[in-house]
Amino acid sequence: MEALHIEATEDTPKIYFEPEVDIYLIEGKSLPENAVDFYQPVFDWAEKFFNSPDTPTDVTIYFKLDYFNTASSKQIAKFLRIIENSAASENVTIRWFYDEEDTDMLKAGNRYNKLMNIRFEFEVNKD
Amino acid sequence: MNDQSQSKEKLGFVYKLFKAMQKNNLNYIYRGSFTENITDNILSLAETNLVKKDDPRILRRKVYNVMVEGLQNITKHQADIKVDDEKNYGVFVLKKENDKYYITTGNLIENEHIENLSAQIDQVNSLDKAGLSAYHKEVLLHGKISEKGGAGLGLIDMARKSGNKLLYAFEKLDEKYSYFYLHTEIPSKNAPKSSLNTKNSGILHYISALHKMLNDENVLIIFNSYFNQDSLMNLLSIIEKQMMESLQQKKRIYHTMVEMFQNIIQHGDDYQKTEEGKAGLFFISETEKEYLLNTGNYILNEKIPILSKKIDYVNNLSEEELEEFYNHRLLDFDIDTNKEAGLGIIDIRMKTDDNLEYYFLNIDDKYSFYSLRAKIKKN
Repeated sequence: MEALHIEATEDTPKIYFEPEVDIYLIEGKSLPENAVDFYQPVFDWAEKFFNSPDTPTDVTIYFKLDYFNTASSKQIAKFLRIIENSAASENVTIRWFYDEEDTDMLKAGNRYNKLMNIRFEFEVNKD
Repeated sequence: MNDQSQSKEKLGFVYKLFKAMQKNNLNYIYRGSFTENITDNILSLAETNLVKKDDPRILRRKVYNVMVEGLQNITKHQADIKVDDEKNYGVFVLKKENDKYYITTGNLIENEHIENLSAQIDQVNSLDKAGLSAYHKEVLLHGKISEKGGAGLGLIDMARKSGNKLLYAFEKLDEKYSYFYLHTEIPSKNAPKSSLNTKNSGILHYISALHKMLNDENVLIIFNSYFNQDSLMNLLSIIEKQMMESLQQKKRIYHTMVEMFQNIIQHGDDYQKTEEGKAGLFFISETEKEYLLNTGNYILNEKIPILSKKIDYVNNLSEEELEEFYNHRLLDFDIDTNKEAGLGIIDIRMKTDDNLEYYFLNIDDKYSFYSLRAKIKKN
């Protein structure tokens, strides 16, 4: 299965989807000027990965974002929608990390949980 | 009074401030208490953000050195004065124009020190390069140091590093205190030398008038530059370092700023076309209970009806309705381009604690100046 690695910048998150070691991670800040362009490779990867006969039976995606703008929030919704509509949707868990004091981030996770038919787990970041 | 004239009264200030900043090319102002922490932050910001990376190293070093002395000057004087309120807030102003940097500091001093301080600066200004060197040595060796703990040396250093005369002014506040303004020009190697005339303190009158405006509105940070992604990132690092708030509040301020800023990057209009982005103003002011985040930028008149309708609509929604509207828009993948996700204004309203205030000031047939204000409650 194909991997996807994108290094973090000051306004885009690190993307580390690596089937070989079974790690799927989105981490950091997301406030790019052109959110649609930035997330396109992520969608392309997800379309392939979650609709392949070889998709692992258990995929946990770590969302460790400390901040994202509204433009990114729509792209995240699109990403989750791709998973929801894919053949492997039942194999997927979203593990949503947030700082204990950051109720807005928890709320954002709860919103996606409510709107998407995907399994969510929530976890407080440890310092 | 109707809504529009109320907004005009409150937000007319945004345009006034914008014009005031533009007129003198002022880029950045910090107003507040200058703790060591804040001073360090301003310095590291200047190193990484405020001063352009493609400036010659030597110029950057000079700017840095003059800033260190100027900021230390403020903290020293500030510590002396037992006024523990906003009157004792100092200001730091950075301006860049034609390859030159200008640094101005302003702080409260006791009137009784005015004479001594003026004499010190006049003395420094009377010396040429060699004279300054000799004077510097003399003060170092023989300790002709003022009661203020060596303010003398700081002034000598500023004059030496900038290679320019120091411009100063006092603005009397009351029987006991005055504001002391000190202005230094740091020319780049290629720029012509000092155009500064110590008799001509126009810029200082100007900054002192601006300082009054900032005191009246309790403005903390001003950023006047082109709105683009780079300036947004710079500004965010300023806010992260300078706002001493709880994590949650800091995040909300951060969040709201990003949306306000990107809204302008995507939808603002160029009054005069520049390659660097759209001219605009961002500032944070405070009241006892809240922080006010303000933006000002040009917009085409034809966009006003739709925009005001949008803001009014969002302002009139309850918390549940906002949430519903947000969710609806979030999943509306027909509105989905780099320019527009359709969520910005809804999100700003959700992250802040009160209705958004806005005002359009007509500039001409084609353009208006659009001011937007969001409020974030203090804990």
